[in-house]
Amino acid sequence: MFVAPLLALVAVWAVVVPLFQINPRVFPSVGAVGTAALESIRDGTLIAHVGASLLRVGLGTLIGIVTAVPLGIAMGVSAGVAAFLTPLFRFFSVLAGIAWIPIATLWFGYGFGAIVFVIFNAVFFVVAYNTLLGVKTIPHTVRNAAASLGAGRWALLTEVLLPGALPNIVTGIRTGLGFAWRGLIAAEMIATNVGLGYMLFVARDFYRTEVIVFGMIVIGVLWLLIDRLVLVPLERSTIERWGMVRRA
Amino acid sequence: MNVWLQCWSGYVRLTQRWPALAAIVPFIPVVALWTAVTEAGVFPRAFLPGPLDVVKSFATLTYKGILPDYLQDSLIRLFAGAALGMALGIPLGILIGTSRWAHRICWPILLFFQAIGDIAWLPILLIWFGFGLTTMTFVIVYTVLFPVVLNTVLGVESVPRDLARAARSLGASPARVLWEVTLPGALPNIITGLRNGLGYGWRALIAVEIIVGTSGIGFMMFDARRAGSTTEILLGMIILGLLWYIVDAWILAPLERATGQRWGLVTS
Amino acid sequence: MKTLSLRNLAKTYFDPYAGAHVTAVHDVSLDVQQGEFVSVVGPSGCGKTTILNMIAGFIPYSGGEILLDGKPVVGPGPERGVVFQSFALFPWKTVLDNVGFGPKMRGVPKAERDRIAREYLALAGLSHAANRYPNELSGGMQQRVGVVRALANNPAVLLMDEPFASVDAQTRMTLQEELTRIWQERRPTVVFITHDVAEAVFLANRVVVLSKGRILDQVDVDLRRPRVWDDLVNDDEFKRLSARVLQMVRAA
Repeated sequence: MFVAPLLALVAVWAVVVPLFQINPRVFPSVGAVGTAALESIRDGTLIAHVGASLLRVGLGTLIGIVTAVPLGIAMGVSAGVAAFLTPLFRFFSVLAGIAWIPIATLWFGYGFGAIVFVIFNAVFFVVAYNTLLGVKTIPHTVRNAAASLGAGRWALLTEVLLPGALPNIVTGIRTGLGFAWRGLIAAEMIATNVGLGYMLFVARDFYRTEVIVFGMIVIGVLWLLIDRLVLVPLERSTIERWGMVRRA
Repeated sequence: MNVWLQCWSGYVRLTQRWPALAAIVPFIPVVALWTAVTEAGVFPRAFLPGPLDVVKSFATLTYKGILPDYLQDSLIRLFAGAALGMALGIPLGILIGTSRWAHRICWPILLFFQAIGDIAWLPILLIWFGFGLTTMTFVIVYTVLFPVVLNTVLGVESVPRDLARAARSLGASPARVLWEVTLPGALPNIITGLRNGLGYGWRALIAVEIIVGTSGIGFMMFDARRAGSTTEILLGMIILGLLWYIVDAWILAPLERATGQRWGLVTS
Repeated sequence: MKTLSLRNLAKTYFDPYAGAHVTAVHDVSLDVQQGEFVSVVGPSGCGKTTILNMIAGFIPYSGGEILLDGKPVVGPGPERGVVFQSFALFPWKTVLDNVGFGPKMRGVPKAERDRIAREYLALAGLSHAANRYPNELSGGMQQRVGVVRALANNPAVLLMDEPFASVDAQTRMTLQEELTRIWQERRPTVVFITHDVAEAVFLANRVVVLSKGRILDQVDVDLRRPRVWDDLVNDDEFKRLSARVLQMVRAA
């Protein structure tokens, strides 16, 4: 059901390109994209590009989440501190990702370090900000309830603040990863010689539209897989099950 | 103890009267820390310049007229793209939200094209349109379009069916129902979509200006990168952050609140 | 044998918007015996919730002292269980895990605390809901969970802050009857805050009337137990006591 409209779109593409004899330098035929796909799978370049991109995203996101969540929770513990710091994090989450590319390449040089840094801070500020918001949304009575049932500082953190902020954290990860994914493609166009963004950008130099379109499909499918198979189920299992209000 | 209480009380009352202060004061320690780090010489100047260097470069670039020109270019691109994105996105969203068939056909396609993401279009756009305004506008429209469409659909679907029924039974034609009920009901979501869309569009603009660039803030930053001038890069980042902060915190967020909270609809 | 005693308790707090100190509670002294059920009733703003929050240890007190079994109260602790008006259940935990939270904090092993939680859920007729999440239950059921969650921790005193104010009228009556039944079975020491005079009289051994941060008067309630609304609505003694308390509250 979900796939049918997409298949129809491919069918239209298969008919339109030969029908109007569109120049392959402008838009490739389905067959050419298929050939490019098979070729890149056979000679291993696809695996190399996808692997490089996923490694960067994975590493940057992991570092981002691991550092942002504890920080966000620590900041959210005191309402005064949270209110004071909110504008700062708002400012930096606005800058998250792409705007850091120029300075990241200056600090780390072109390559792996700069790209991972861009992804890290796309995730870091958005997740930290959302975690802070999440902790702020936990009703005071729920914290009091835990304290009066004998929860200490550590238990308050693990049993109340972390699960209470989790829906916001997951939303933050989803947003941050969205920025990171775009930042990745942009950074790879500028600052490296391997990865999906690089694959697209180099193909442009030789007018290889079939490689570009294939790369775009790969990027789309990968993101759909990440979003639908990991992020959406995660959101559902927390927010919907617990009946907590979803924040846009 | 008492002095601190008085200070805090003063701060709370000041920010109560001028809410803008609450957004500015927290940056004072950050700038102070930044100054301290650069003055102490922890990093070389070329690596991390101080706040004063950035202010000086702001003054120079403004005086030369480069900065206002670039800023204007960026803003025009962003708002033209956003306006076009909304003009396409809202009707499309209403169509998909009201028609089950349109929903079935368009939803997977929308999700897929959203997943490709704006920046991945850049190489093929460069082949099609070259380095120019068309390419940039296309990317920004593309970025703004999806959040607006998806949120408009959500908004239309969230309007209670009884509201439309009430309007019909009070004598409204289907077209009037669309105008009087569906659209206002979906408005809070549409604004949320616009807010998200502009957020993404802003980033896309920077990326495009960096990669395609002939002018604009993103171009300025990458040009400075080529010349190794960290000062101008930092200046660009600060301007980007400030601008978006102003647009988001003082225009979009209040707009969202004004519609959503005023009407008691749950949005944010 | 008294359990809880408040001595000249006072609370002033600093209002940053007004820039001045405000006094919410003046000089309140009160003794609660072990196994006693005390209702504190008064109009909104009389300081009753502030007193409860101080006993619970959620907010510090600025004068006097609070003693529990002779020891001064500092901060929240498991010997003082709290039932909240807003239920304050953990939405991310099942009903069973909510009730087992207190024992878990004491380091009781999983199997044992599940047994305890099930025993208390049975007491409130909630055994069937053990694996549900709070948002899947009605308000009345959520507050039953709130009550047994506090009880499962075996507190020396149970503090209840208008616990039935946000459920519908019929459910409220059922909950009140259930609470008196559970109290008779377990004999916990209870401090019950409410603005509903009939509720205060129905539940308590003693009603404390509060006004503008001071204790106005106290009324002993010697109605026989078990108490059920069908009997008490026409009971002359109940009517007389309710009228008397109501008069004091309205004059306050």
